[in-house]
Amino acid sequence: MTIENVLLVSAVLFAIGAYGVVSRSSLITVIMSLELMFNGVVIAAVAFSRFTPSAALLSGDPLTGEAIRSALTGHAFAIFIISVAAGEAALAFALVFAMYRAGESIEITDASQMKN
Amino acid sequence: MIEVSTLTTVAFWGASAMTLGFALIVVTQRDVFRAAIALAGSFLGVGILYFVLSAEFVGVVQILVYVGAISSLMAFAVMFIQDVKAGSRPVQGRLVGAAVAVLILAAVAFTALNTDWSTMDEISDQVAGALTEGYVQVGTGDEIRIEKVGFTDPDEVVVPNGGVLVDSTSAIGVLLVREYVLAFEIIGLLLVAALIGGLLLIRDPKPEPEVVTGSEKREAPV
Repeated sequence: MTIENVLLVSAVLFAIGAYGVVSRSSLITVIMSLELMFNGVVIAAVAFSRFTPSAALLSGDPLTGEAIRSALTGHAFAIFIISVAAGEAALAFALVFAMYRAGESIEITDASQMKN
Repeated sequence: MIEVSTLTTVAFWGASAMTLGFALIVVTQRDVFRAAIALAGSFLGVGILYFVLSAEFVGVVQILVYVGAISSLMAFAVMFIQDVKAGSRPVQGRLVGAAVAVLILAAVAFTALNTDWSTMDEISDQVAGALTEGYVQVGTGDEIRIEKVGFTDPDEVVVPNGGVLVDSTSAIGVLLVREYVLAFEIIGLLLVAALIGGLLLIRDPKPEPEVVTGSEKREAPV
């Protein structure tokens, strides 16, 4: 398990999600694919945090709490991305539901206007 | 006895295969409900990946938020909305989409494989020892320093696993409320905004007022 392996897995997950976003007709599946892309990005952030040391750790200076925490920046990024993705998913489904009620369809080609 | 690194490798590739396999099902499955179930499996695989990458707090958050909350949100959305028989058809331009996805993958993979990554092996023994064997934070304010738990001699520090934080949860807690406290508060605001926005979008736009029909009935004979 090297950083290249993990980044490759992350890139493949991102690419699968990207394919899903442009290739499916139902808005729900498009949102699912978006979530897959989010996950690919978060895997990359955690992999960087795990495998590459921060500049504070490489400097050789005496260890401080700040330097230790700088090694965990990727984890903080991951948590923030997950929080934003959760809010985004809730809003996206509210939008899809509003569209379904307005037009009885959630085909992506029917989603040309927001006003009903 | 199996070595730890072998177990890690097996767990890593197993979790990767689980993640990518379920993800492929999500983007190819016509039945939206099955896609939602496969999505939960894919999220679970990603959670296992975080544990393998020694990010146990992120792994727990992933399982709570994605496998727990977002997956059930998806399932409810499918049950509320989707006519399952209609399903999710592949659209016409999907070959172009596949080409774009492969190009993205090629670009990222090329970058990942051709970059000379600095690794955890380059950090000094003392730092690595504190990172791998747990540490305690001593003092307050500007006097904060780090001491290893049971620290004896910096020369005798063994680096067993290439820089794994034994206990990252408490450090993440401090990180979130110290270095990233502004982002942390903004995330709270954002979630409240998303909650209110979702309620606003999903509420019934025209609550048919019964009073109107009642008054019409009354006025009709007149």
